[in-house]
Amino acid sequence: MKRLLCLLLLVACTPVLAASKPVPLPRDSVYQLPVQLTDQDGRQFAWASRRGKVQLVAMFYTSCQYICPLIVDSGKAVERQLTPAERARLGILLVSMDPKRDTPAALTSIVAKRKLDRARWTLASPSPADVREVAGVLGIRYRALADGEFNHISALVLLDANGRILARTEKMGSQPDPEFVAAVRHATAGP
Amino acid sequence: MRRLAAMLLLIPLAGLAAGAADYAQLPGGNFRTALKYEDRKGATRIAPFALMRKPVTNAEFLAFVRSQPQWRRDRVARVFAEPRYLSHWTSADALGAKALPQQPVVQVSWFAAQAYCEAQNARLPSWDEWEYAAAADETRRDARRDPAWRERILRWYSHPSNQALARTGLQAPNAYGVQDLHGLVWEWTEDFSSLLVAGDNRNQGDADNAKFCGAGALSMDDRDNYAVLMRVAMLSSLNAEDTTANMGFRCAKDLK
Amino acid sequence: MKHASRYLALVLATTVLTLSACRGDDKPATTTASTDSGGSRKGDFGPPQGKPVDAILTSPPHVPPATGRTAPAKVIVTLDVIEKEMEISEGVSYTFWTFGGTVPGSFIRVRQGDTVEFHLRNMPESKMPHNIDLHGVTGPGGGAASSFTAPGHSSRFTFKALNAGLYVYHCATAPVGMHIANGMYGLILIEPPEGLPPVDKEYYVMQGDFYTTGKYREKGLQPFDMEKAIDEHPTYVLFNGKEGSLTGDSALTAHVGDNVRLYVGNGGPNLVSSFHVIGEIFDKVWYEGGRHYQENVQTTLIPSGGAAMMEFHLEVPGSYVLVDHSIFRAFNKGALAILKADGPENKAIYSGKEVDYVYLGNRAQPNMAAVATAAKSAHAGELTVAEQIAAGKDLFNGTCATCHQPNGEGMPGVFPPLAKSDYIAADTKRLPSVMLHGLQGPVTVNGKDYNSIMPPMNQLTDDEVAQLATYVLNSWGNPGGHVTKEEAAAARKAKPTNASEGH
Repeated sequence: MKRLLCLLLLVACTPVLAASKPVPLPRDSVYQLPVQLTDQDGRQFAWASRRGKVQLVAMFYTSCQYICPLIVDSGKAVERQLTPAERARLGILLVSMDPKRDTPAALTSIVAKRKLDRARWTLASPSPADVREVAGVLGIRYRALADGEFNHISALVLLDANGRILARTEKMGSQPDPEFVAAVRHATAGP
Repeated sequence: MRRLAAMLLLIPLAGLAAGAADYAQLPGGNFRTALKYEDRKGATRIAPFALMRKPVTNAEFLAFVRSQPQWRRDRVARVFAEPRYLSHWTSADALGAKALPQQPVVQVSWFAAQAYCEAQNARLPSWDEWEYAAAADETRRDARRDPAWRERILRWYSHPSNQALARTGLQAPNAYGVQDLHGLVWEWTEDFSSLLVAGDNRNQGDADNAKFCGAGALSMDDRDNYAVLMRVAMLSSLNAEDTTANMGFRCAKDLK
Repeated sequence: MKHASRYLALVLATTVLTLSACRGDDKPATTTASTDSGGSRKGDFGPPQGKPVDAILTSPPHVPPATGRTAPAKVIVTLDVIEKEMEISEGVSYTFWTFGGTVPGSFIRVRQGDTVEFHLRNMPESKMPHNIDLHGVTGPGGGAASSFTAPGHSSRFTFKALNAGLYVYHCATAPVGMHIANGMYGLILIEPPEGLPPVDKEYYVMQGDFYTTGKYREKGLQPFDMEKAIDEHPTYVLFNGKEGSLTGDSALTAHVGDNVRLYVGNGGPNLVSSFHVIGEIFDKVWYEGGRHYQENVQTTLIPSGGAAMMEFHLEVPGSYVLVDHSIFRAFNKGALAILKADGPENKAIYSGKEVDYVYLGNRAQPNMAAVATAAKSAHAGELTVAEQIAAGKDLFNGTCATCHQPNGEGMPGVFPPLAKSDYIAADTKRLPSVMLHGLQGPVTVNGKDYNSIMPPMNQLTDDEVAQLATYVLNSWGNPGGHVTKEEAAAARKAKPTNASEGH
């Protein structure tokens, strides 16, 4: 009996042992940037922990009047083009460029207002000092305006499971960029 | 006013007392930037800050790379520096004939510049701070109205760029005690990616609201200030991981 | 009865004629709405066919061969931006910013309906970012928005050439005027679908105005002068970026009997060109580079940022001089080029002699080597009198010989002689002063009276005055000696009483 238990334990442990030997992060992965994010539930996590799943990433801020609602729409529009299986293999991350105002409460209100599926969508803020570095690896340019709004490039960035940039589009709206969608489908295609 | 005068007296003394990486202390104040933003009327307020007197040299950057080997060109994350990063050095940790120790370091990305400054407990200057410091000539804090000064700066662009870079520190210091802000290398700023300029620089003021989300278009207030115009063009053409043979940097510090 | 019918016929005929005249039927129908080519709406001939083609790019003054295509193709164009120092005039250099290493940049030739994949590479040694706006592109900025390229990087964008014509391309990075003034322009020819009629010679010429802080022909590396550019006071107006680039050994060539076609652009940045070929008439001018041509044109306007094509047939041999007929630009700023035609004479058409050397002076032959040598020596502080004399001789033959003759004998009653001149011998020091300020009023030289006006030659630099005066003093029996640059400068400051008017 004891031997069986030990065997069972060993079998249970093996996957953990195998996983504990990490594959090195590719040099061109955005997860090379050591950034901590705080999501809509107040949970703090390392950006690099998103590794392992294909990601759709964009930068936004909650008090945006103009285009940021369109960023959410654009993300949803891409999702609609996917099969349920592909959708399940895609994580969507919106990173705020306005961490001072985009507290977990502000982020939660957007999730609620736009009826975002928490299983797939994460809204998070970096620390203020890290915003420009995140923007740097994603190729986003932005400027804080005097009234708290931002001038910024709007883009959707597709990352592979290791954080390498596969595709990028600046075409926002409910009619997604077909080339970008094709890249997303290719990345989330099953084995 | 008297306090300002007193500060002006202290500045050179404070500058002399500055530590290893030589910083000058700049008093800040109200500054009229050449960049006209729709959302920013009137002058910009610049807090007092310290700025390195000279750009960072090859020798200084080599010391940094040796102490932080993750910034060696053969180990750096590609996402932080493109393949030409430090390509003019003879090897990953040695300078060689094409990179003299006292020349300003070039072929460095924004990420690398940030990391260097952080390691000095400093940061990159903001665009506003850089522009403010660069408005001075040897005797005046703001020489921008002087056509002769503008011509001097334009002269740098008339020299072919295939000649070796001069050493840092050869130019006379400006009114703040800072050298080489013009005529040596372009310099990174902390917020270079806030210069939202369309690739076609002729649509001045005609903001593509959809591309840059929202108002706050950038136009040039002082169209005669070509030095600034060209720097804006240069910085807005680059991404954070890019390097060029003419782009270097210097660090800044907050003053308490 | 017969009279009545004849009368009726006459009335009918007259009525018909009158009616048709009222309708304007007797006017030739050349440009009614039905004959336009449809512009960009009809310029899309569908997707590219066949394998992608690498465009043949040529350096000025050469033009790539006709594409010979009959179907739309994908054409790949790779153009490099190179910042380099080159000569703008003898002994004068300038830092040009170029497309393809030349001013103007490489000539691009495609066919209407082609899809062009454009690669712009900015060399790593460049100081500035650059982009390109091709006037033949339909799309934002003409490509400028999509081609903003930092040094050491490259950009790519694709466009379809929807409109046929000859178009300018140029850099559009701020400050745009400066980029253009530094030579960043060229031409792209978009052939009509049926191609252009074949000719014997095709050449590529592009005019540009240049602004330097130094004066015209002041030696050394000259920086760009923004104030002069804004005030539109060019120092040089040139064809193909260099004074004398198309003269002497580099003149364009053709034969008697050739049909010659010129593709002429005007990069500006500021001036409009009044383009003329001395000795020829344009049989056809496709004004503004468009689809229609005018015939029998002497001088055609080429707007800044525009182009024109012209054809002419050569009947007699000789040197044909291309100029901007705003004529001071041709003779005082360098807007002059030569097309040398060889072949048999045809006295029935033209019986006269060759264009007089003196008329063009030193501008037809850029033989200013002695001047350049003198400039170098002066810079090194080692200028000798012999070098001054050699330089002065070149300068004299270009400027003074027109009136005073190459042998200094002048013209009796009109231009005083300089040879063995008692006027000069009486006071050799006044030579620089006369050259700079001119001379008017009665004067007696070698026993003869003269009462003409010599205009002030104050466009000459101090070096040139010193060299010229030294040459004159040492020629044709004059007393000898030499004049220094400082003495010339001093003479410039002191204006004598008999100075010529028009100062």
